[in-house]
Amino acid sequence: MQILTQLVFSGIALGMIYAVIAFGYQLTFATSDTLNFGQGDALMLGALVGLTLVGLGVNYWLMIPLVCLFGAVQGAVVERIGVRPALKIKSEFGWIMSTIALGIIFKNVAENVWGRDDLKFPSPLPESPMKFLGANVLPMEILVIVGAVGMMLAVEVFNRKSIYGKAVVATFNDRDAAKLMGINTGLVITFSYALSSLSAAFAGVLIAPLTLTGATMGAVLGLKAFAVAIIGGLTSGMGIILGGIILGVAETTTGFYLSTGYKDVPGLVLLLIVLAVKPAGLFGKTAIKKV
Amino acid sequence: MNVKKLVLGAAAIAALAAFPLASGNPYYIHLVETIMIYAIVLFGLDIVVGYTGQVSLGHAGLFGIGAYTAGVLILKLDAPVYVTLPAALAVTAAFGAVLALPALRVTGPYLAMVTLAFGTIVQILINEMTFLTEGPMGITLTKPSLFGHALDETEFYWLVLALLIASLVFVDRVLRSQLGRAFEALRGSPVASDCMGVSVYRYKVYAFVISAALAGLAGSLYAYSEQYISPNTYNFELTVMFLLAVIMGGRKTRTGALLGATIIVLLPKLLDDLQMFRTGAVVLAVIVVASVAVGLKRGKLTKQAAAIPVVGSIALAAVSFKLETMTDWRLSIFGLITLFVVYYLQDGIVGFVRNALNLKTKHERDTTAAKATALTRASGQGQGGNDGELLKANGVLMQFGGLKALNNVDLVVQRGSIHGLIGPNGSGKSTMMNVLTGIYQPTAGSVLFAGTSVTGRTSSDIALSGIARTFQNVQLFGEMTALQNVLVGLHHSFKSNLIDIALHLPRYLREDREQRARAHALLEFVGLESLASEEARNLPYGKQRLLEIARALALDPQLLLLDEPAAGLTAPDIKELLEIIRKIRGAGVTVILIEHHMDVVMSLCDRVSVLDFGQKIAEGLPAEVQANEKVIEAYLGGQAV
Repeated sequence: MQILTQLVFSGIALGMIYAVIAFGYQLTFATSDTLNFGQGDALMLGALVGLTLVGLGVNYWLMIPLVCLFGAVQGAVVERIGVRPALKIKSEFGWIMSTIALGIIFKNVAENVWGRDDLKFPSPLPESPMKFLGANVLPMEILVIVGAVGMMLAVEVFNRKSIYGKAVVATFNDRDAAKLMGINTGLVITFSYALSSLSAAFAGVLIAPLTLTGATMGAVLGLKAFAVAIIGGLTSGMGIILGGIILGVAETTTGFYLSTGYKDVPGLVLLLIVLAVKPAGLFGKTAIKKV
Repeated sequence: MNVKKLVLGAAAIAALAAFPLASGNPYYIHLVETIMIYAIVLFGLDIVVGYTGQVSLGHAGLFGIGAYTAGVLILKLDAPVYVTLPAALAVTAAFGAVLALPALRVTGPYLAMVTLAFGTIVQILINEMTFLTEGPMGITLTKPSLFGHALDETEFYWLVLALLIASLVFVDRVLRSQLGRAFEALRGSPVASDCMGVSVYRYKVYAFVISAALAGLAGSLYAYSEQYISPNTYNFELTVMFLLAVIMGGRKTRTGALLGATIIVLLPKLLDDLQMFRTGAVVLAVIVVASVAVGLKRGKLTKQAAAIPVVGSIALAAVSFKLETMTDWRLSIFGLITLFVVYYLQDGIVGFVRNALNLKTKHERDTTAAKATALTRASGQGQGGNDGELLKANGVLMQFGGLKALNNVDLVVQRGSIHGLIGPNGSGKSTMMNVLTGIYQPTAGSVLFAGTSVTGRTSSDIALSGIARTFQNVQLFGEMTALQNVLVGLHHSFKSNLIDIALHLPRYLREDREQRARAHALLEFVGLESLASEEARNLPYGKQRLLEIARALALDPQLLLLDEPAAGLTAPDIKELLEIIRKIRGAGVTVILIEHHMDVVMSLCDRVSVLDFGQKIAEGLPAEVQANEKVIEAYLGGQAV
């Protein structure tokens, strides 16, 4: 029982990371109907840049805003190079391929800069577990949960309360109408990409102390986060938190009771099943297609 | 078949076959062998990517399944080659069907993610199922033996070549047949495909299964060719390389696939040679700068648009002199090439060359020896006579959220009549069409067509039972010719199966000849005969509407639904259209006509129903309806009392 509680707790922490990345997918999907297939690589870059900064002697807490800034710039670059030209020529294939290509480039650059081996990210909090409901819980796991939820809430509040947020929501509802109302939709889309990569980079520095950091850490994380985004529904705000928790717990328990080699399988299988059965996600609404 | 093409093909095959003898170098033989194996994968991938227009990131996984099916069979059962190859083909095809299941529900980025997840799962399973696959250790095998004779490198090369040619002929024949047209139609307009009786579901599965089978065959050949397989070969990078090869070579051409395969196999080898890469990068930069300069001068490019390729290519050239070794940066180079191809070489090398040389995309040869009649008498007409009820909708309710787009609408259409359906914009006319053709499932109510219920059946099923339609916003298969569009409508009259097509058996050849003649006749009927080999997207708007009618008639419908056929037509065109619609009725086809041109409605229709805000407010003879106060009120607004 104690082990199970512990697995559930790490599962929740992991799930929160998925939720943050999935949140990033939602942000760009909301404004432009596009996704960054290199989202996992944005996370990986965030973690590695964070590692370098910490290595240079920057305090962990001070490093976070710097990494967020880096993530935002990286996201804006992806949008400018990979997505905007494709939106202009209305080519779905175009942005899928170009964000994949950019992801590959980022990964390859990271491999060459930081090496191919996984690196240890020093934990900013004590690594001795605390007792919680009889289970051993790492303080870092609590930070992950708090940080992830805080991040998502901050963006939600921004979208709902500020006039800039209204522009984002308007672009989501009808891109052309928003443009006619004087909203610079191009800028809004760039902004959403910046925000999306920012949250991925933030997730990267949160998860890094719990796992190992390296060029290959992003790919599978990005894919599983997509599973979470689908389970939660690409247009449903908080469904992803539940989706993240489901997947996170499924994964830690599979890893423990079956084999760590199989730990990625439940998420991917869940993705296939949800898309085959209810593509709008468990919490999303099915859109009516006009003919 | 074109004689020049035949000679060229024979020469190419002869050159390929003679290559191992001429070169004698096992390294080069193996290289060409790999190119041929990849080409087989690409033929299949092109069916999914080029024809049905879906992005598949799962083909490396399928390739791996093929390789491992062969590998495991050899490892566990010591199976001979004539067992392993068909087994790899069959097993991978089955996996292709599994992969197609989510593909039925989703498209675009979702499908890309699904196929990516599939590929990842395959890789994990191969790694983990050690009892079967030896896991990360990999499997070592030897070249196969045929009829008791162990093949050496050269002989195996010939086997691969033979299978490459077989795949090429097979894929080419399939794609030129009704199957290929169905695949292409899915890409052009899924809704229209369904309404032409070409089930989107079924043909997507077919496309994936055929595509997967080819990947499986290639995978098993790859296992024999490498003589060693390990899970990490079949990774994400390989999948992206396959995609890159298809788009770089050129979609929808077999030459493009061969070219793409050559590039992705040879490019890494070229990158290994640093000096060559530097020269290449400099040449590329010069070409890009020169072409951008020309573009700027002619005003075809904005400065902003020009900046990216110029800066990119110069940076690449500069970097190439900085780097000590290229191999580490291989993937970045591939990434850059992908970006370049996606934005500047969308039609691939083959498309680019065709454009540059002004060669038109060659569409199938057109031989109309046999004459056919455009309209066969509507089937079933004899039974009910001319005055039975063909269509009976009862209390149809269509609710979208709180909005009742159709509110308890009854509609009875007499066999052999032209029934007008009019009403102001947003009154529910097109919604009614969509309910009748199964695109929407009504919330309540029943629709009986020729005595059987329509509700709950799929669009393609309804289409095949005799309801054809046109669309308010034209839904043609844009990249296909006018003739091919009509042939998609004729899909239902093809009975030949995959074997007939692959072997060009008499049944297929006869059907193909007959249906082509029929398609020409249909085009002639609507006056588009001279535009038969023009791509649909290039036709003027009015002609597109006529083409839609021809395509709908190809279904041999009992009931034809025309959704605003006269919209956007000029006065003389409308006159022609009236003539065509009268002829259609003359052939015994019942017509429901939605139209805003009142003169068209009044001169054609036997009965008219009027909808307003989802309710039927009037029905009767055209003259009666015209005089009806409610109708006048709906169109012109109520009197201010």
